[in-house]
Amino acid sequence: MSAAALRASGLGKRFGRAVALEGVDLELPAGASLAVLGPNGAGKSTLLRLIAGLARPTSGSLTVAGTPAHLPAARARVGFIGHASLLYPSLTARENLIFAARLQQVEGAGRRVEAWLEGAGLARAADLPVSHFSRGMAQRLAIARGLVHDPSLLLLDEPFSGLDPRAATRLAEQLASLHAAGRTLVLVTHDPKRAAQLSDRAIVLDAGRIVFESRDGEADAEELERAVLAASDSAA
Amino acid sequence: MSVLLAILWKDLVTEWRSRDRITAMLLFSLLVVMVFHFALPGGATRETQASAPGLLWIAYVFAALLGLNRSFSLELENDALAGIALSPVDRGWIFLGKTAANWAILGVAQAVTGCVFALVFDLDLAAVAFRLALVVGLGSLGLCSVGTLFAAVAVRTRFREVMLPLLLLPLLVPVLLGAVRATTGLLETGTLAFEPVQLLLVTDATYLIVSYLVFDYVLDE
Repeated sequence: MSAAALRASGLGKRFGRAVALEGVDLELPAGASLAVLGPNGAGKSTLLRLIAGLARPTSGSLTVAGTPAHLPAARARVGFIGHASLLYPSLTARENLIFAARLQQVEGAGRRVEAWLEGAGLARAADLPVSHFSRGMAQRLAIARGLVHDPSLLLLDEPFSGLDPRAATRLAEQLASLHAAGRTLVLVTHDPKRAAQLSDRAIVLDAGRIVFESRDGEADAEELERAVLAASDSAA
Repeated sequence: MSVLLAILWKDLVTEWRSRDRITAMLLFSLLVVMVFHFALPGGATRETQASAPGLLWIAYVFAALLGLNRSFSLELENDALAGIALSPVDRGWIFLGKTAANWAILGVAQAVTGCVFALVFDLDLAAVAFRLALVVGLGSLGLCSVGTLFAAVAVRTRFREVMLPLLLLPLLVPVLLGAVRATTGLLETGTLAFEPVQLLLVTDATYLIVSYLVFDYVLDE
């Protein structure tokens, strides 16, 4: 039996006395797409950063394809696209991608960078510093950066924030094609419509706990919105 | 190894384009040298020349504190530190890359400051230049290794500008002991004493190994 793309059991994370996550159980098969919703401070970004191996759980276990998430072998499988771009403004688009590829131990980054830039629609801006980029261009580059090592699990933390409608639509299409190509997606978002559109599973977090869960696309945008509002009311 | 080189390249390229870290370090260390010049009575007398190694290393430490603080605060922009921490390698290589970059940038500041210091205090450093460079290189390696570790610790604290010196200065005692003694011996007799160099080598090795091993936990959120 192959290991699940992602498995959390009794997962908890505390920052001092503050509880960010508690008792989270989750299993995601390879190729699935999970949306994580909830009010501000519910623990969505913490969950994503734990999966990315940027933080260690204080309780429970978390594995990526059977490997503990904080180990280098698990990080090699993960692509992380945060609400910050992870880019260096003084480096060009080309330099940012080559640097990311070297960090990810990708062979022949210099030869492959043109294809990555072309794929992101940034070939003509390849040698411009990222500080000159619009929010949409930076987001496309951030996504290309997260994909340089061809990760099987893609983590996205509010990737639509700050994008204009056209850029958001283009990003939604790109995520749908990545999912169709067999990648596992975990998408943190505040937008129930995007969650319903891009995911076949969804969870709603409140105060670090899962308060709503749907599988196989059984929850539509309205139901997800009601679940988020209920969580927000209880948080208030 | 490729991650070490990638981080070294990235830090040197970003510094070359902005030059803000090296400018701040140079301005500050040169101001410290000038303050010493005017604060000590009589200018370049024999007494002040006897204190020169200590004064020179004080200027170096101040410059290093400025540079080390900037080293990781630059990584906070766009959450770039997370981008580095996602690398699927032992995070000790990230530490070594940042240390190498800090060491190279500090080396440039030290070379310029050393030349100005020699002029201001009327010291003839030309005859001992290579051996002095060895001592400064060894002292700076200890300074940058433990400094890089604590800069990474301090960068996520509220008072990082204050936190770094508080954490770092007590641990710099063996580095400064070895470096100042070796520099004093070099300037007074023209020869390099073995004992302070040995102290620097042992301290550097200890700080590098310990920092390499614990850096994984330091990058954890």
